[in-house]
Amino acid sequence: MRRWWRAGRNELSSRNLRVPFDRLAVTRGRGCEDHPGNVQLMLTHVIERILQALVVMLVMSALVFVGVYAIGNPIDVLIGPDVSQDIRLETIARYGLDRPLWEQYFTFLGRVLHGDFGRSFVFGMPVLELILSRLPATLELTVAAVVGAALIGIPTGIYAGYRPDSALAKTIMAISILGFSVPTFWIGLVLIMTFAVELQILPAGGRGDTAALFGIEWSFLTANGLSHMLLPAANLAFFKLALMTRLARAGTREVMLSDTVKFARAAGLSEWTVLRRHVLRLISIPLVTVFGLEFASTLAFAVVTETIFSWPGIGKLIIDSIQSLDRPVMVAYLMLVAFVFIMINFVVDLTYFALDPRLRKGRA
Amino acid sequence: MRKDSPAARFWAEFRESKVAVAALAVVVALVGVALLAPLIAPQDPYDLAKLALMDARRPPGYVGSGGYTHWLGTDAQGRDLFSAILYGLRISLQMGLVAGAIAFAVGVTLGISAAYLGGRREAFIMRVIDLQLAFPAILLALVISALLGQGKAQLIAALAAAQYAYFARTAHGAASAERGKDYVEAALSTPLPARQVVWRHILPNCLPPLIVVATVQVANAIALEATLSFLGVGLPVTEPSLGALIANGFQYMLSGRYWISIYPGLALILLIVAINLVGDQVRDQVNPRLKR
Amino acid sequence: MTDAPLLEVTDLSTHFFTRAGVVKAVDGVSFSLRRGEVMGLVGESGSGKSVTGFSIIGLIDPPGRVAAGSVKLEGREITGLPQEELRALRGKTVSMVFQDPLMTLNPVLTIGEQIRLALEAHQRVSAAEARRRAIEGLAQVRIPSPQATVDLYPHQLSGGMRQRVAIAIALLHRPKLIICDEPTTALDVSIQAEILAEMKELVAELGTALIWISHDLATVASIAQHVAVMRLGEIVEAGPMLDVLTRPQHPYTRALLDALPSRAEPGTYLLRGGGVPDAAPPPRLPAAEAEPAGDEAAPYFVLDGVSKRFEARTGALRAMAERLGLAKPPVSVLAVDSVSLTVRRGEALGLVGESGSGKSTLGRMAAGIYAPSAGTVRLSGRPVMSAGETPRKLTTRVQTIFQDPFASLDPRMRIGDSISEGPRAHGLVGKAEAEAYVRDWLGAVGLDPAFAGRYPHQFSGGQRQRVAIARALAMQPDLVICDEPVASLDVSIQAQILNLLMRLRSELGLTLIFISHDLSVVRHLCERVAVMYRGRIVEEGPAAEVYDRPQHDYTKRLLAAVPVLPAAAATGG
Repeated sequence: MRRWWRAGRNELSSRNLRVPFDRLAVTRGRGCEDHPGNVQLMLTHVIERILQALVVMLVMSALVFVGVYAIGNPIDVLIGPDVSQDIRLETIARYGLDRPLWEQYFTFLGRVLHGDFGRSFVFGMPVLELILSRLPATLELTVAAVVGAALIGIPTGIYAGYRPDSALAKTIMAISILGFSVPTFWIGLVLIMTFAVELQILPAGGRGDTAALFGIEWSFLTANGLSHMLLPAANLAFFKLALMTRLARAGTREVMLSDTVKFARAAGLSEWTVLRRHVLRLISIPLVTVFGLEFASTLAFAVVTETIFSWPGIGKLIIDSIQSLDRPVMVAYLMLVAFVFIMINFVVDLTYFALDPRLRKGRA
Repeated sequence: MRKDSPAARFWAEFRESKVAVAALAVVVALVGVALLAPLIAPQDPYDLAKLALMDARRPPGYVGSGGYTHWLGTDAQGRDLFSAILYGLRISLQMGLVAGAIAFAVGVTLGISAAYLGGRREAFIMRVIDLQLAFPAILLALVISALLGQGKAQLIAALAAAQYAYFARTAHGAASAERGKDYVEAALSTPLPARQVVWRHILPNCLPPLIVVATVQVANAIALEATLSFLGVGLPVTEPSLGALIANGFQYMLSGRYWISIYPGLALILLIVAINLVGDQVRDQVNPRLKR
Repeated sequence: MTDAPLLEVTDLSTHFFTRAGVVKAVDGVSFSLRRGEVMGLVGESGSGKSVTGFSIIGLIDPPGRVAAGSVKLEGREITGLPQEELRALRGKTVSMVFQDPLMTLNPVLTIGEQIRLALEAHQRVSAAEARRRAIEGLAQVRIPSPQATVDLYPHQLSGGMRQRVAIAIALLHRPKLIICDEPTTALDVSIQAEILAEMKELVAELGTALIWISHDLATVASIAQHVAVMRLGEIVEAGPMLDVLTRPQHPYTRALLDALPSRAEPGTYLLRGGGVPDAAPPPRLPAAEAEPAGDEAAPYFVLDGVSKRFEARTGALRAMAERLGLAKPPVSVLAVDSVSLTVRRGEALGLVGESGSGKSTLGRMAAGIYAPSAGTVRLSGRPVMSAGETPRKLTTRVQTIFQDPFASLDPRMRIGDSISEGPRAHGLVGKAEAEAYVRDWLGAVGLDPAFAGRYPHQFSGGQRQRVAIARALAMQPDLVICDEPVASLDVSIQAQILNLLMRLRSELGLTLIFISHDLSVVRHLCERVAVMYRGRIVEEGPAAEVYDRPQHDYTKRLLAAVPVLPAAAATGG
């Protein structure tokens, strides 16, 4: 029972939209306490996932540490070539670089457990602080892109799947394949050229004015900030939009051919009811999956968009630190992305549990 | 190919979609043009001796010092953009296809072995694959190529490492499904040697979904390579791929010299869209749920 | 009440306009139905019986459409009505029940919600009213605890209960006509008997007319007053049920009846099985004797206390969590529970049981596909599978024929290669002789030897099953396990395959284990029968004895549930 969606999810992330729709689906958030044994089952599930997450984070930290620290020599970045041998040795000792790799790793791990990811070589400030200061910019961009893509993509996709042979549906699909294929950075270039260079109605980069909410600066709270956000968000949303549209279309097409829909029609249900009550619910599991996964991968793709639009988020930060070999920032960033991915997978899992009654046990 | 074989039937169905056939023709044409680039291109863009700074950043239609018209203009180094695009196409395709092929071989072997081995070994292999899939390909490729440094082989390694997991996952899924089918049980009850069951029965029947993933992943690899080159961690500037050409032109875009970025971009998009259109048709054809 | 027919179908033609040409699925069908009347629509697959049903209710999907003819419901022409007017009729005046309730009910909506949607399609109801009506409707179709059932999801119900829910939805608005398309085909015979009896009562009680579409003459006979027999889109014979089934006029109807094993003397060739091939199977190859014969004195084929437990696989982490008491171990299913069975050389043993009885799992253990969780399977005293971590099958003398010939042949392999690869892998034939060997076997199963180069998709279901038989027998087995080999075939094809199996068995001196849910097929083919129920064998003995004097309660219930045809008058039997 659990295998299919696992497969489906991973295929999705490979842009391969073959999700098993025939027996998939959802119901509105009916609690798990309806049937005896569900709470226990849920708890088992949660514990299993937490254990898994811990192991994954541990493995990730080791890989990232070995990958980033063991290759190359950080000392060359830390100090200039013309420094005396004494200072050089002292610096090596201060950073613990003369210790065996495993010892360095455990020292690192111990510090991480206390929330200390070290200091950025370039900015000279604690890495955690640095990343947290950049995170809101990326978050607001990502949320705007993914939510916007879902709001537009899902209805369009359902329409295209409901009337697959109509001219409008074919146009939608043609556009979506374009959105699916054109590299994000190129769309960014075209957007800048069109709206910033030619028409000169939107700014080409930067975050614009921000306003504080809960002590954090946000762009979406000011008109100027919003105008700065529009292009990068659209750029980031373009691929997601195509993905959501195609997914919703594929699901709708398959569900429309199913006996469930035929039976509903035979019972006299109107097309609107069929779409709203049957189709939408049946296709929402893969949609929830993509929504979650795309949210996470958008964080990663923000690297490209933020570079093009000089958006000061964590994507821009990681590119800069890769170029300047700022290793503590790279490690912390990769661990953060891994953590976010695990959390989102976890939430998606729990959503499934709430959405698909078949994952819950209990037979009358 | 006999006309009644499954492959022939597949082709007959494929041929019914005019768009897909046209897309396939475009792919074939682009591959052909890329292969023949040295013959077609008016200029060898790698030959620095032939480049003149006075020809740099000239608009389309400019007649340069070489005596011929630069129909698509020239880039910042004074290269004929049309020639540069042909050669860039060559590199992009090479990267995409080689990385795709390596990822395919590694991934499919892993995925099918896992499905066949079963038990703890299967669980272990697939856990590792899942772990990797939980990480966005672009970040992985970015980090790996940053670590390995610039160069074709390094880039191919980064692309393949970022992509093999998708093949492994798909191959594993398809092989697990096939393993439970009656014809595999029939082969097991004959009994046929395990190796024969895997290579002669399971693998051929896993090919359709793998072909779909392969088309998508080759397109992805090309786009990914372009993105990495754009971000400056891909290929060296001396041998620019399409992505590097676009990146090189980016800085001139704000000053209105659009052609340096736009034309290589159009070539890239044409290639990727065409591959994806072919993949789309194949996907529809191999999806049993749309067959009624 | 007038005497005018409720439904009048005249010259109905439904065609499918495909790229390959026009398929005339229904081609000039006429019949009429009075109020409260029950009509059976019988035919083999592809006869157009389902399409007729969907045409009446106006649910033909493109590229199909009603090309000609008229359908009058209560005197009103309904072909060509606008979609909205048709929709107003559906569920209200005429409704439909489909074959597989698992596919028709929405898996993520509760039964109550699905009923409410069907109610709201034709009237405004409050939530409380909808719930009351839902409970009422479920009670009407004899669902034991309707108050609890409304809040359940389809997967929480058994197949029979799900189909009752579908019937409840169809009956919700007291329609004048219900069309049931193979409603009991996916169900076990005992559930089928219940549904048939209930449906008969319900339509009588409500005065609803019923069109019962089925491939099975016996179920139709037990519910319908009138029968129409369809073939290739046309009705070849129609009339009162007793007349059609006891004094069939059309040769096709007679052929259908003659093909039924229940009307023939056990062990004889079926009348309409026809086409018994002349070619004898190739002689036994010397290489086939290479395998050591085993102990002649030991009982021939023995299943010794075999069990099969299916367990969900767990990872190391999960196992750790279980040990710490943080997680519950997954549920395991004991599909076969210490079954012991002995088969004598040359005997045909029938293994009957309903779905989930474990008969297929037992068959797969006997065939060396699954390793038993406990117990052993021995042929002439030698184990069929090796022990250890990765068990392998050790013998080629036990071969298998599977249920679905569409699934059991590798779709990407020419059938000649499918037949020869086993014998070649085991050195029965060399590369040079393989081609001739395949041709011999194709001839022996009644296929043109020239077909060896074709792919499975180029064959019909019956032909594929012949290929599957040739593949199994080309391994020169002594014992053949047949797992529902005729279950997915039409009756006329079923008769051919049964005849072929009987002939090959006698010519080759084969021992058979024949697994089937169809009691009449087993009765026809097997001398001995074992009845399986919930993973155990509850009764075993000579077929005649078990069928005539069943001892175990379950066997009695099973036999009583089988629908029977009225005794034939004209065709004998």
